[in-house]
Amino acid sequence: MNAPTIKPFGECGFIAQIEGFSSDVDSGLFANAVARALRSNDGVDDAVAGIDSVAMRFDPAHLGVDDAREMLLDATNNTPRNTARAKSKTIDIPICYGGEYGPDFDALCTQLKITADALIKLHSTAPYRVITLGFAPGFVYLGELPEDLTAPRLKTPRLRVEAGSVGIAGHYTGVYSLPSPGGWRIIGRTPLALFDGRETHPFIFEPGDEVRFNAITPEAFGAIRRAQK
Amino acid sequence: MMAIATIDRPGLQTTIQDAGRRGARHLGVPQSGAADRVCLAFANAAVGNRWDAPALECTMTGPALSFEMDIGFALSGADMGALLNDEPVGRYQTISARPGDRLALGAAQAGARAYIAFAGGMAGFAFFDSVSTYMPAGLGGLEGRALRTGDTIGSRKATMMAPVDIPDTLRPHFGHDWILRATEGPDTESFNPKTVRHFFSAPFKAGRRGDRMGLRLIGAEMISEDARAMKSSAVFPGTVQCPPDGAPILLGPDAQTVGGYRRIAQVIDADLPLIGQIRPGDRIWFRRIKAQTARQTTLQRQILIASFVSDFSLR
Repeated sequence: MNAPTIKPFGECGFIAQIEGFSSDVDSGLFANAVARALRSNDGVDDAVAGIDSVAMRFDPAHLGVDDAREMLLDATNNTPRNTARAKSKTIDIPICYGGEYGPDFDALCTQLKITADALIKLHSTAPYRVITLGFAPGFVYLGELPEDLTAPRLKTPRLRVEAGSVGIAGHYTGVYSLPSPGGWRIIGRTPLALFDGRETHPFIFEPGDEVRFNAITPEAFGAIRRAQK
Repeated sequence: MMAIATIDRPGLQTTIQDAGRRGARHLGVPQSGAADRVCLAFANAAVGNRWDAPALECTMTGPALSFEMDIGFALSGADMGALLNDEPVGRYQTISARPGDRLALGAAQAGARAYIAFAGGMAGFAFFDSVSTYMPAGLGGLEGRALRTGDTIGSRKATMMAPVDIPDTLRPHFGHDWILRATEGPDTESFNPKTVRHFFSAPFKAGRRGDRMGLRLIGAEMISEDARAMKSSAVFPGTVQCPPDGAPILLGPDAQTVGGYRRIAQVIDADLPLIGQIRPGDRIWFRRIKAQTARQTTLQRQILIASFVSDFSLR
């Protein structure tokens, strides 16, 4: 049993550090399961999963401090630790690699000393899991990237990354569902609309989803774009 | 939708903001909302709106606009020398405008943000029960962006209440020095105790490049003793995080939902509205207080304001 370390986070918040998982996919999906359980409780304003943590903010008018701490501890202890094994849905993402849609693609090939075809094959062969949403609206962390593809963030983040952009940072690949500032190395973009502001669930991704990338041409990118309009 | 006014000059960054969107951080959606929610509440209350109705948030230099309907409005926050048809107008009170009247705000000398509330509130694109503008992703407000010359702002015609007289003693007066009370952050222990003492006693200067996401703090370097990379973990408005270059970032209302830098402090909820008034070059001190004291302080402040402005909440 790995008892979580729980620390205060602000005047009405706690954070549980999660340990004992062998991969970020496993710990991130566990953290999301804990956060989801917490959000169903009265008095919980926010429950936010990180890769290896769960932060909770509570409303002191509805929940005592000790009760809030206990609630986080219980959720962490009572959530099954093998949640990552339960798969929800599979999402196929068409992606146009390089060119105007992947401004960091060529530099990454040079840096990793691999051909364009090899990078595309490496990135699009493995199925990924959505580890968590966060940072920007609908931004997803996907894991884990093949060892040969890992690369650090850009030194200077871009002020704007377009919606649908697919990037690499560390041993994650990620998708920007909406435009955002960002420091991930952008290797391609999907023409799919990943956001619908009129929906209760505005983003197509959920933690646990399996994601597969399918390489497409710029022509196919344009055709899919037009078909969605 | 009735047109309230047309924008003649947009100001530096004028956006529609309300109290922000709650409970969507797990989707990566920031809170947003007025950077100074006390002043948002005062402008709204002064014109008879619910405290959290959408209003215009003006940054550093305010807009000029021409009214298109008979409507009451109220100003609050930083003094931007507002003129109605070239005559000075006061803040924290209802002022009546007629079609063709021209309201012009200039540059603030102290404080960074002013609010203009219109009787009945404002229309905007709602997302998670809020029309607050979040510019990076183009959410909320008017097309998710700052106002431009030629834009029309629309009224909402929400239920009105009796306008509230905001007492002088409650109206904020801004200088260039700020004391922000803060509790220790989840990673404070990863810093040398000397560094932590320094953080909670020495002044910082607000950097040039500040926006609604965060302010850079210039001063002593705050470097964690734990050099290991941190995995992405939650941050909130008011979190002070320390990137490896040592210059802390004080996060604002548009704070991202997770970050990878160590968190040395968390500004208490009662003092979050002050962050919205800090200008580049202003001096900031952080005062360490315990979580229990912070809860009491926030509660007392909230009760005081809510005794004038119904249902007001600092959270």
